Amino acid sequence: MAVNPIARSFGLMRGMRLADARAQLPELLSELHEAEEDMKSLLGLCRWMERYSPWVAPGAPDGILLDVTGVPHLFGGETKMIAEMKLRLGAYGFTAQHGLGDTIGAAWALARYTHPLPPAGEASPLRSNGGGEGESAGFDSPSPPRLRRVPSPALRERLENLPIEALRIDGDSARTLRRLGLKTVGGLLAIPRSSLARRFRGEAIGENVLLRLDEMMGVRDEPLNPLNPPSSFMAHRALMEPVTGAEGLDAVLTGVVNLLCRNLEGQGKGALRLILKLFRTDGSRISLPAGFSMATHDPRHMLRVLKPKLETIDAGFGIDAMTLEAREMTGAMARQYGFLEDHGTLGLEQLNDRVLNRHETEMVAMEAVESHIPERSEKALIRPVGHLLPRGPRGRRRLPDVPSPVRSMGEGGRRPDEGSSRPLLIFEQPEPVTVIASVPDGPPVRLTWRRVTRRVVKAQGPERVAPEWWRLVHGERPRDYYAIEDSQGRRYWLYRDGLYGETGEEPPRWFVHGLSA
Amino acid sequence: MRMEPAHAARAGSIRAAAVRQGENLAPLIAGLRRHIAGIEQAQPPIGGAPRRGLPWTMGLAELDRHLPAQGLLRSGLHDVSPYSYGDQPAAMGFALALAVRRLADAEERRPLLWCRLAKEEREYGRLHGHGLERLGLERRRFVTITLKKPSALLWTMEEALKSGALAVVLGDAEGARAGLTVTRRLALAAQAGKAACLLIFATPGAQATASQTRWTAASVPSRSPPHDAAAPGFPAWNIDLTRARGGRPGAWILEWHNALHGFSVVPGFRGRTLHPGEDQGGEDAAAEGPALRAG
Repeated sequence: MAVNPIARSFGLMRGMRLADARAQLPELLSELHEAEEDMKSLLGLCRWMERYSPWVAPGAPDGILLDVTGVPHLFGGETKMIAEMKLRLGAYGFTAQHGLGDTIGAAWALARYTHPLPPAGEASPLRSNGGGEGESAGFDSPSPPRLRRVPSPALRERLENLPIEALRIDGDSARTLRRLGLKTVGGLLAIPRSSLARRFRGEAIGENVLLRLDEMMGVRDEPLNPLNPPSSFMAHRALMEPVTGAEGLDAVLTGVVNLLCRNLEGQGKGALRLILKLFRTDGSRISLPAGFSMATHDPRHMLRVLKPKLETIDAGFGIDAMTLEAREMTGAMARQYGFLEDHGTLGLEQLNDRVLNRHETEMVAMEAVESHIPERSEKALIRPVGHLLPRGPRGRRRLPDVPSPVRSMGEGGRRPDEGSSRPLLIFEQPEPVTVIASVPDGPPVRLTWRRVTRRVVKAQGPERVAPEWWRLVHGERPRDYYAIEDSQGRRYWLYRDGLYGETGEEPPRWFVHGLSA
Repeated sequence: MRMEPAHAARAGSIRAAAVRQGENLAPLIAGLRRHIAGIEQAQPPIGGAPRRGLPWTMGLAELDRHLPAQGLLRSGLHDVSPYSYGDQPAAMGFALALAVRRLADAEERRPLLWCRLAKEEREYGRLHGHGLERLGLERRRFVTITLKKPSALLWTMEEALKSGALAVVLGDAEGARAGLTVTRRLALAAQAGKAACLLIFATPGAQATASQTRWTAASVPSRSPPHDAAAPGFPAWNIDLTRARGGRPGAWILEWHNALHGFSVVPGFRGRTLHPGEDQGGEDAAAEGPALRAG
């Protein structure tokens, strides 16, 4: 049962049973709780709250969440803003409580547990009809809403003093915690995380105490789903006459791209994926996806990627509408071009986009990995281009002087010269060779590879590469690498798989693993 | 060369200045060479501003003498062919050495792209980052891409050159495909993007190309390092400059010093002119080349 202030003045309390209340106050007016109507009213109030912030979400059953990042100064500061909200809500007959926090969890808790009003009970099956709803507006200011922020020390102290019910956990969990002597959030923070995780790992969110705690303290981020979905980016052009010619389609595409890019740029967004849909007059549709390695709202770049795709399509009887949709958007800063900047040049990432969209192959940068096994000693970086490399020639940005991890390994761990036998070219699949070599660990004297026999003149080795014990694969044997040079000066990098004289193993085999310049 | 009036006037003024001061002619000649390099790169110096960056020199006077502008022009097309079947790694190594020389320029901050053909990767293996580092290429300035079709590779190379995002674009080429028209396109794209393009032919005896210089590379036995007489030393190649527009052909036996990023001529041996497709001279190369064995 929920009560209004008048009822409260007669000594009734939230959470009382209706029968008890009737006994205490026979003339009590009561009305059944209608959850649906409540929700409708809450949504109405949410829309009304959009006057304060565009990012409003209903916090069912009795709260509203607002992202007020960058908003308070418009109303003369946080205090004034909240006072105004309360005044206006009060005029509509609502009693509002507020909480202002850096995370949703903190705002929720502060709104409900810091004010000298009766604590929110778990059950409020009835709503008193006195007009006063227990609306509490929770405000928080993570910016943007998916970003988590750690509460400031002052706020943290306030949060630690809150009762554990403030964690948005269900009644059972709260009771268990109280029985264990954990009455405040601070008490919960003091005990080891692992024991919390072990004890309270319910499927339902209300049972997962640790999750709720992390959300409140900003360790884990919690998304805020706004009432208004973020605007989607789509540009559409319907044509009076179907177009078949490439020139006509190009013109339409340019229009659509410009429209979309203006929208994206206005919102400070860039698209990572685009879908161009062409509608034929006969009702069929062509869908052309395009991907970018960096979010872009540059119409010239989009056109560069999309135009070649447009050339490949079959327009049939003509195209009568074109839609360009942006998918996977992220923030992208508008780039200002210098006065003298050459617009003809592309960045490497833009070049990569062109190649990727045409040949479905990406550029790859190799990153060194700390492993002595040659085939594991480097890995390809996917979408390497943006992070790894400097901007185009005219870009003002210089190569960062901070050594990259790759570099530091080369300098600190192993000098490039040290592994001097590493070849220029390496075979994906080492190629078996027959050799004549002295036992047990002499370098080869003669080798036959690809049906040609070569006399070995110089050799360096062995370089023993043992299997990595932490990832032991069955049958993997230690390898001895040799860098050899034949009579013509050609260099091979070969290894013996296994050792001579090991009992119970098959004899070692030889492989060419790479070629040196 | 036809001189346009402005250039003639400029050259005249330089000469007049030198004659007036009665100095020796070395700075004059250097100035004129820079000027000509500027014209040939289709970017006449504006207002006499000093050209930024150093020319693409080999760091070896004996080699640079043979090249136009005492070095290679900073943007343009060059090609490297192997002398015979097994010399492909030598050709790739030499092309990489040229590229490293190009990247060593302090003004050059753009990376290098190496376009590989899937077929070539199967034949000779894929590029190994540690090996590239060993030859002097910084890992963070290296990007590679593997393409299945030769036509796709040529398209990618042209786009990469034109983009201006790269300093050097290396690519595997098939002799049959990289004809005069194709290479001319690449050369123009390289000019447009102020990039250097290095084509590495898979087979010896390629047809005529629009390259500024053509090189043929063959492996030769290396000199062992002083501390280990049995081990292979610095990579050594017999390099034949078969064609050089504005330069002179020549042949050398070169060593590539990984750490110094420089070539040196192996003393006591003269390079052989390698005429591609002359004979199956693998064995001769061994016989006539420097059978080097220290100690």
